[in-house]
Amino acid sequence: MKLKKYFALTRAGILESFQFRLAMLVMVAGNLLYLTVVYFLWKAIYASSGTDVVNGMTFSDTLIYLVLATALFNFMEMYAVWEIGRSIQSGKIVLDLLKPMPFRSYLFWSYSGTFVTQFFATFLPTFIIVCVVTGGAVPLGINLLYFVISVVMAVIINYSIDFMTGTICIYTESIWGINIMKQVIVLLLSGATIPIAFFPEPLKKAVSYMPFQSIYNTPLSILLNGSPKAETVLSALGVQAFWCIVLLIISNLFWKFSLRKITVNGG
Amino acid sequence: MKRKGLGFYLRIYCKILAQDLKSKMSYRADFIISTIGMIFTNIAGFVSFWILFRSFPEINGWSYYEMLFLYGFSLVSLTPVQCFFDNNWSLRMYVYSGDFIKYCFRPINLFFYYQSEVFDIKGLGQFAFGIGTLIYSWNKIGLGFTPLILLKMIVFLITASLIMIAVMNAAAATCFWITNSFYVMDLALKFKDYARYPITIFSPVFRFIFTFVMPVAFIAYYPSLVILRPDDVPILSWLSPLFGCLFFYLSYKFWMFGAMRYSGTGS
Repeated sequence: MKLKKYFALTRAGILESFQFRLAMLVMVAGNLLYLTVVYFLWKAIYASSGTDVVNGMTFSDTLIYLVLATALFNFMEMYAVWEIGRSIQSGKIVLDLLKPMPFRSYLFWSYSGTFVTQFFATFLPTFIIVCVVTGGAVPLGINLLYFVISVVMAVIINYSIDFMTGTICIYTESIWGINIMKQVIVLLLSGATIPIAFFPEPLKKAVSYMPFQSIYNTPLSILLNGSPKAETVLSALGVQAFWCIVLLIISNLFWKFSLRKITVNGG
Repeated sequence: MKRKGLGFYLRIYCKILAQDLKSKMSYRADFIISTIGMIFTNIAGFVSFWILFRSFPEINGWSYYEMLFLYGFSLVSLTPVQCFFDNNWSLRMYVYSGDFIKYCFRPINLFFYYQSEVFDIKGLGQFAFGIGTLIYSWNKIGLGFTPLILLKMIVFLITASLIMIAVMNAAAATCFWITNSFYVMDLALKFKDYARYPITIFSPVFRFIFTFVMPVAFIAYYPSLVILRPDDVPILSWLSPLFGCLFFYLSYKFWMFGAMRYSGTGS
């Protein structure tokens, strides 16, 4: 495989995101505001619970979890559904399909530049600040390595779900509705807004059979667990790998199948 | 030129509304999916609310049902901005492409004409959901029902809506200066998620900010105090109708100021 053509897209993406500095600034401000609200909300919740540990998580655990979940979200959100939907509506998809690489890879790699900038602009600073502020509440050890592996798989799972959702736009030509449904389901069931430890028992069980928790809950739980037992980490990563493969295959097949049905108006 | 009265504008609004609905109906699938998407959003919002607060009898002196009341209140008060002012989201596209100029050539109020062009039916689902939540929590709290309290409720709901409308107008109008106002609007939209918590959970500094700098607390907290805590209503609650009108007027002026500054793209 020649990677050079893909890295060209990465580079273009990096340059592109530097064009929108103001947007980035507003995003950072918005995040800070969001985190402030989250901080006070959970503080109030812990204050009224009367105990330090709720559902096996302390206040600082929960806070680190949610802060990093937000950072992960900014890092992983690719707006792929919008991109695919708009390409279909405007007819641009015809040009994208003619490119000398699969559409799926093309889309992914055009975003990879944003990955790089987002990683350095939001995730890394947030991570360092969290480490410093909480004074070592984030265990730094072998779990970091597992975390990185886990995040890579989370990105793949997230992208596959996005890609599948985007493919549905071929049939519906509706973007907003499809995208909002996907976003709401993923954010809630992946534990991005509320840690899964807080879910009621039946819901927790149901969620454990779904791929969504592999996106946010698994990497973050692995990171927060300082002295991991090999089998727990391996089983968590195994589940992720399973979903990775399954979703990759399904989204690819679905795309191949749908491509035959595509109709482009004008373009 | 004769000044046009309210009746004139109402008649025009109905005519434009009918056209808009007809055009929406020609994309039936999109319409249905968007509506389902909206219902999903509301259900997910409710589920996360339930997961968070089900195990705590009260947060910061607010009972579960009072929190629910706040939640329902914010949903209802956010309906008008969703239904009548949704075209704000497209403003940046019109300004960017130069199509905005077409609105400047009509012999009616520019702001009115622009906003009247889109009526978003999806908001009605949210309205129904909010009303349901309000009635449910109303019963559970055991609030009485008198014509006076209903009147208060309506007045303060309108107040709250005006604030959110003002925020979105102002956010959208920034595109006359910075072109891409999406991030500003997205940030402003997050206000609605913060509005549903009692402001007492925040520290004094943020209480001040959320009251006077970013009027989030006026979207649900201050207005609903009039209903929930009738014996102990702060002066700010009684002033909120005034603030609502003032904010709305200011945002209108700001919007028009931007629009007057608009000079087209030359195409």
